[in-house]
Amino acid sequence: MSTPTQTETTNKHGVAKLRDLWNDYLPYWFVAPMVLVMVMITFFPGAYDLYLSLIEEPTVNIFAAEFVGLENFETAFTRGGAFHSFVITVTVVVSALLLESLLGFFLAALVAGVESGRAKAFYRVLFILPMAVAPVSLATIGRLMLNTEVGIIPYVINTATPFAAPAFLSDLPLLTVILLDTWNWTPFMFIIFYAGLSSVPDTLVEASRVDGAPLWRRYIHVIIPYMKPVVFVATLIRMIDLFRTFGVVYGLTQGGPGTATQLVSINIYEQMFINNQIGVAAAIAVVYLVFVIAIANIVIAKVGFEGVWD
Amino acid sequence: MTDGYRRRQYLKGAGATSLGVLGALAGCTRGGSSSDGGSSSSGSSDGSSGGSGDSSGGGSDGGSSSSEELPIPLSEYDSADIDWQQFEGDQINIGAVQHPWVQAIKPAIPVFEELTGIDVQWNILPENQFRTKRQTDASTGAGQFDVFFMDQVVNQFRNEGWLQPLDPYFNDESLYDESFYKPNDLFESSRWQAHGGGYSDNWTGLPITVEVQTQFYRQDLYDKHDLEVAETWQQHRENAKVIDENEDVAGTSGRGQKGYGMNIYILNTFLRQKGTSLWSDFPNDSGLDTQGVIEAAEYYTSLLQDYGPDGASTQTWSDVQAAMAEGQTGHIVADANMFWGGLTNDESNVADTVQIAKVPKPEGGELNPNAFNWQISTSTNAQNSEQGFLFMLWATSPPTDLWINTESSGVFSVRQSTWENDDYISKVGEDYAQVSLESLKASAPDPFDRKYPEWGQRYSEELQRAITGQKPAEKAMKDAAATAEDIYSG
Repeated sequence: MSTPTQTETTNKHGVAKLRDLWNDYLPYWFVAPMVLVMVMITFFPGAYDLYLSLIEEPTVNIFAAEFVGLENFETAFTRGGAFHSFVITVTVVVSALLLESLLGFFLAALVAGVESGRAKAFYRVLFILPMAVAPVSLATIGRLMLNTEVGIIPYVINTATPFAAPAFLSDLPLLTVILLDTWNWTPFMFIIFYAGLSSVPDTLVEASRVDGAPLWRRYIHVIIPYMKPVVFVATLIRMIDLFRTFGVVYGLTQGGPGTATQLVSINIYEQMFINNQIGVAAAIAVVYLVFVIAIANIVIAKVGFEGVWD
Repeated sequence: MTDGYRRRQYLKGAGATSLGVLGALAGCTRGGSSSDGGSSSSGSSDGSSGGSGDSSGGGSDGGSSSSEELPIPLSEYDSADIDWQQFEGDQINIGAVQHPWVQAIKPAIPVFEELTGIDVQWNILPENQFRTKRQTDASTGAGQFDVFFMDQVVNQFRNEGWLQPLDPYFNDESLYDESFYKPNDLFESSRWQAHGGGYSDNWTGLPITVEVQTQFYRQDLYDKHDLEVAETWQQHRENAKVIDENEDVAGTSGRGQKGYGMNIYILNTFLRQKGTSLWSDFPNDSGLDTQGVIEAAEYYTSLLQDYGPDGASTQTWSDVQAAMAEGQTGHIVADANMFWGGLTNDESNVADTVQIAKVPKPEGGELNPNAFNWQISTSTNAQNSEQGFLFMLWATSPPTDLWINTESSGVFSVRQSTWENDDYISKVGEDYAQVSLESLKASAPDPFDRKYPEWGQRYSEELQRAITGQKPAEKAMKDAAATAEDIYSG
């Protein structure tokens, strides 16, 4: 038997060290590919956006870029209309979220209370349908239905009520946008709330009924608290989605009249593809990203995740 | 007429119009916005595939081609003292919008390929996607397109150094022959716009199509109410009033939607006709707060508010055209002459009665409608700019332009001689030809300075606010002036 050479000993030692490294950090190695993917698809674009917001003009050679500090941010909030578009966005998000949550819950409660299985199935399909409409189609349909000359909605208002139909897109643009989004996305809230209602144990509801609690008390004190995680998740997801709204509003009003419905997403688009102000667009996007993350975290911190992931 | 009937008719008309005019009025000037279809070109495309997506302009295999089979005889180009074959075997990439010009010229591409031996590859995209692609191609220096469509952003691109001036090619004797090309046959306004609308001494591209503003009206309503064709704003307003008050249709219709190619495309004509202009002192004084501009804005906003359809502030050019084609309005006050095709084709409800006339002007003012040109340009980083220049020259040369507009589906020649050609006049109709030609001669394009898209967007937002009634026209124009000047001072 030959004795191991110095080189072999060293190699063995190296392999053993590698094995130890692998074993000690095993969970991290398994997660590493996913982390890499996340860096590529999330952090890299975010970092590039930040880079664009700090330079004069985009260039492939980042070392040749002319850094302008916070100039693009200043432009965004002075003549770029960023503040106005944030106000509009928050208005739309809060209003639509509130309306969609209340309506979604109301519809879910109504359908949950229907005895017939067939009727339940029918209502479920009926109420989910609007969610299937693509944003561009919805904007096109909306423009036609709301057209004061030939639209069905003004026609119904004019003939079935004593009121004259307003010019929705020019007189009530923000309200119109909120209502159209509510029509489009209430089904999302409905379907989640309906699932949540279906998961409430019958025994709890029966017990409260036996105790003599009226319907509204059963909802306030038994059903809704039980559904809290569902309500929370649905609201959070919908809120984040609302912050991303673009297609429907752009197709319907292009952010107008004037800038009456200019959401942040529309403002970014216009700065980028119309004004060619890439740095300003990137600056607004950076602020918006931070803003949305902050809002989401505040909501999570205040409302809490208790019971959501348990 | 019942509302139900009107609605069905409108929907039918809107659908038909959208389909029918998707191509022709893709060329209708616009900006920052709508991707609506539009229409208008009359006639077919001679079998060309005007489709979307990337497509080849046909093979360059000359083996099966002969001059006899080509749509334009090669002898038409013999008089040119140009070395057409110097780049034989090369290839050029053309970035183009889905546009009727592409439809019209495609059948003639084998002529170019046979003449020069250069293979043509098309990259055709819907307008909004094309804008994004073009910006990416030019700004990153990719240089994928040797030739590409150019519009209101011409000075923006030129200022960034992305656009290559064509003058060196004009000075190259092997590439250019003035006696053949006849540059002075191009409308003055087209040449002016090709020189960056007054912001450049150099050629920034060559114009391929021009559209000019005209007025459209319904002869049946004019006969019924004994109205005269409006030559002045006041007459137009009175005609609109009569129709609005006595008929179940809007008195008039016009672009109200924001966007640098939307409502201000109309207003810019009116303010010029009042003797004022944009940027009376560039870049210090936008001129938007002058009395002439304010009066023009007041005229247009009150016209739409009083006699336009409800919600006029959101009307795009395609809404306007659909309303007219459907018989829902008495006039279109001032819009692209190329609407004519869509208003007179089989899908139009007013085909038998619609008439074309020059845009009305203010009392004491001068006819000065807006003319918009698409042009083709080459970028600084293009790989085959010389080959691209040969293509541009060939495509806009007298024989090719005449063929596109007489034998193919074009109705948008940038050459005065084509508008005066008998075959062309008989193809497009005498009214269309005469009104368009006279309007083109008196026309002026907007001077698209390098930040026009940015301040133009804001200016259009202010005008839209005025049309909506959110603020008086005077206040809107003053705010627009302040914003435009702020953008240049910043």
